Amino acid sequence: MQPHTKRKVVSLELNRVEGDLEVKIEYDGEKVTDAWCIGLMYRGFEQILRGRAATDGLVITPRICGICSTSHSYAAVAALEHAWQCPIAPNGTRVRNLCLMTEGIQSDARHSFLMFTIDLCNPRYRDVEGYDRVQTLFEAFSGRTYVETLQRTKDILKIVAIFGGQWPHSGSFMPGGVTARPTRAQLRRARDLINEYQGWYEASVLGCRTERWLRNHTADDVEAWLDEAEAHRKSAIGTFWRFTRAIGLHRTGVGEGNLLSFGNYFDPVRWQPPFEEPAMLLPGGFHDAETGLDSPFDHREVTEHVRYSHFVDSGDGRHPWQGETSPVAGPRDGSYSWAKAPRYRGKVCELGPLADLYHGGDPLVRGLFAAEGSNSFLRQFARIHRAAPTFELMHRTLDELVADLDEPFLIRPTPRATAQGVGFVSAARGGLAHWIELVDGEIERYQIITPTSWNASPRDSAGTPGHWESTMIGTPIADLEDPIELAHIIRSHDACLVCTVHVLDLDRRFRFGAA
Amino acid sequence: MLWIQTGGCSGDTMSLLNAESPDLLEALRGLELELLWHPSLSLLGPAGLGRMIDRIERGEQALTILVVEGAIAQGPAGTGLYDTMLGEPKRDIVARLADVASVVVAAGTCAAYGGISAAGPDPDDYVGLQWTGDQPRGLLSPDWISRAGLPVINVAGCPTHPDDVLHALRLVVYGGTIELDAVNRPVERFEKAFHRACPAKIPKLAGAEIEPGEIPCSFELGCQGPKTAARCSHGIWLGESSKPRVGAPCVGCTSPTFPEDRELLAPDLDFVADAPPLGVSMADHRAYGGMVRYTMRRITAGLVAITEPRARRTQGLAPVRPRA
Repeated sequence: MQPHTKRKVVSLELNRVEGDLEVKIEYDGEKVTDAWCIGLMYRGFEQILRGRAATDGLVITPRICGICSTSHSYAAVAALEHAWQCPIAPNGTRVRNLCLMTEGIQSDARHSFLMFTIDLCNPRYRDVEGYDRVQTLFEAFSGRTYVETLQRTKDILKIVAIFGGQWPHSGSFMPGGVTARPTRAQLRRARDLINEYQGWYEASVLGCRTERWLRNHTADDVEAWLDEAEAHRKSAIGTFWRFTRAIGLHRTGVGEGNLLSFGNYFDPVRWQPPFEEPAMLLPGGFHDAETGLDSPFDHREVTEHVRYSHFVDSGDGRHPWQGETSPVAGPRDGSYSWAKAPRYRGKVCELGPLADLYHGGDPLVRGLFAAEGSNSFLRQFARIHRAAPTFELMHRTLDELVADLDEPFLIRPTPRATAQGVGFVSAARGGLAHWIELVDGEIERYQIITPTSWNASPRDSAGTPGHWESTMIGTPIADLEDPIELAHIIRSHDACLVCTVHVLDLDRRFRFGAA
Repeated sequence: MLWIQTGGCSGDTMSLLNAESPDLLEALRGLELELLWHPSLSLLGPAGLGRMIDRIERGEQALTILVVEGAIAQGPAGTGLYDTMLGEPKRDIVARLADVASVVVAAGTCAAYGGISAAGPDPDDYVGLQWTGDQPRGLLSPDWISRAGLPVINVAGCPTHPDDVLHALRLVVYGGTIELDAVNRPVERFEKAFHRACPAKIPKLAGAEIEPGEIPCSFELGCQGPKTAARCSHGIWLGESSKPRVGAPCVGCTSPTFPEDRELLAPDLDFVADAPPLGVSMADHRAYGGMVRYTMRRITAGLVAITEPRARRTQGLAPVRPRA
C-alpha cells in the first residue's frame, strides 16, 4: 500500500447531469481510491409543502424536476389516493400510464443521445475501431442521432400534451383519475405519434424491427444479430454496443448489484383501495447481491440515514414516516452532501432502468446482468433498449382506452382530513416515492425520496459508501484534466440532481455548525 | 448567449427543447446566436465554464445575452450556500456576469420572481433576479439596468412556453422598441389574460359527466385564468393542446405571486364572474349557475382588461446585428 503522500483529493464538477454535481475523489496517481458525491443545490420542497392544503402537492411537486415532472405528479396523486383510500377510474390509470411511459421514453432518449453518447466522441478514442461512426451519429449538436433525438422526443411528448395539456408540468392528474376526457380522434392521434416514434426508433436506433430486436436474449444473440446485417451494425444501438465494449465500458462502474425496483405501471383494474397488494403491469422487487435471491418490494424496509449529510443528525436509520431534517449552513463534522442516504434492509441499492427491467422480467437485461453484473455499459444499454419493450405496453394501453372510451376517467374522491399515504412510482431514473401526512386537511409532513437520492446517497452512519461512490472506487484515470473514464460512469447513472431535495421539519431551528 | 441554471428544476430548458417551429437548433442558427454554454447540452464542463467566465469578466469574450433559469439562493442565513458552483455561491457568479452582459433574461417564474423555489417559510432563502413575488427586491437592485440599458427581462412561466423564450431572444437580437409591463414581462407575450380566449365554453365541472371532447370549466379546481397573463389559451403547447382543453386549471404560473398562499386547487372566489350572485347559495349557484355563469363570463371577458398589465416601460435597443 502506497503511503498517503502519493494520494491527493481532486474535486470534479460535472454538467450534463440534470442539476449540479460535484465529485471529490482520492487519486493515487493511477486510480480512484475513494470517492464522495456532493449535491450542490438545496430547495427544501418538503418545507415548502408543510402547512399547505392537501392537494397543493399536485401543483408543486412536479416542479421538483423538469424532465420527470409527470412521475412526480403521479407519485403525488398516488400518495393522496392512498391516504384518502379513494377508488381510481381505470381509464384514469391508463391515461397516467401512457403519459408516464411517454415521459420515460423521452427522458431515456434525451439522456442517452444528448448527454451520454457525446462523451464517446472524446479524442482519446480516436484510434478505436468505429470512432468515425460514433462521431457521425453522436457528435454534440451535429451528430445524426443527436439531431434526430431532439426532433423525435419533442414529437412523442405531444402524447402528454394531448392528455395533460402541456409538458412539463401538466395538470390533469387528480385524485380518482384524470380530468381529461379524450375523443376517439385524440386516441388515434396518440396511436399515430407512437407509431411515428417507433418507426424512427426501428430505422435509426435499432436498425431492425422491434420484434426482431426483442428476440435477442444474450450477449451472443446480440453479436450474432450484429453479424446479420449492416443496418444492425450501423444503428445507434449497434454502434453503441460495439464501441462501448471495445473501450471496456462493461468492466467499469461495477456496482454491488443490489437492484431495487418499485415496479412499473399500476394495473388499471386491480390498483384500487385498500392498495395493500402490489398490482403492477411489471413487477418490482429487491435483488440481494449477497444471496442472489429476489424478493417482492416492501416499503417498510426503506430507511434513511442522515449522518453524512448537511443535516442535523437526528438519529440513524429512520423510516421516512419518522424522518426529520434541519439543514446546517455548511460542512459540519464530515457532512458533505444535501442528499440523504436511503437504504433498503440496511443495504446500498441501485435503482434505474437496469433494476426495473431486471425485475420486470426483460430477458436481455436479465441475461446480461447474470453474465456480467452491474456496470456502466449495462446501465446505459438498458436505458437505450428500454423503449423497445415499452412500445407494446403503450399500444396495449391505448387499445384498452379505445375499448373503454365510454367509461369514466375520474371518480370524484371523498377527501379525508387526517390520514397518511405513500405513492411509489417508477420514474425514468428508478423508483420515486412521496410520503404524505395530513392533519385537518393540511400537509403536516411530506417526504420525498428520488431515485437519485438512492443512487447518489452519501455514506451512511456505518460509513458504507453509497452506490455511485462504490462504482467509482478503483477506476483508473489516465488524465486528471480530462477524467473521461469517470464521466462515463457518472453519466451511466443518469443523475438528476434537481430531484435531490429534502424536507425540513418546521419546528426545528436552523443550526449552524463550525465551518 | 450563456445559459446558467440556479435554483430550479430545469423545466424551462426541457420546455425549450420542445420548440416546435423553428426548433431550438434552427432558432439559434437563425438568430446567429452562439451558445457559449448550457449546463445540459454543452461539451465543456464546469471547470471550463469557470475559465470562460474569467475571460468574459476580463472582457476577452463578449457576452450579449445572459439567461438565468432558476431562483437565486441567498440562504441559508444569507450565505448563498444552498446553491454553489466551483466553490462559490452561484449568486455571486450570476451577479458578476450580469454586470458585463448586454442584456439579462430571466427564463421562468423562479428566475423572474422567485417562484416555487422561493415558496418556503423563510422569504430570504431564495429570491428572483430583480423581483421577489410582486416586490422589487432580488439579487439585483430595483433600479439596476444592464449594459444595454434594460432591466432584467422577465419571461415568466412555470415552465416558460418555448415561444416566449425565443421571442425574448429575438427582441434582443433584432433590437428596436421593447415594451415591458409593470413587472418587466414583454408586453407582446403577456398582455392578454388567459380567460379571454379560454376554450371552456360549458359551465360543467371536471368529474361531472362530460362527453368526450367536452371542455369543462375548471373554476372549481381554482382556475386562475381571469387574472393570469399568458398565451396558453390562445396558443397551445407542443402544437397539440393546453391545460383547459383537458379540464386542468390554469394555476397562474406566469404571475409574480405564483404559487399563491392559498389552496391552489380550490375555487378562487375573488372572481366576480363565478362567485354566486347576492342571495344565491353556492349550492344553488352550482346547480343552476350554469346559465348565470355562462352569461356572466361573456360579460366579464370584456372586463378582464382590468387585470391585464399595461405597458409601463418602452425602451429602444440597438440591434445586435441589422436584419438582412
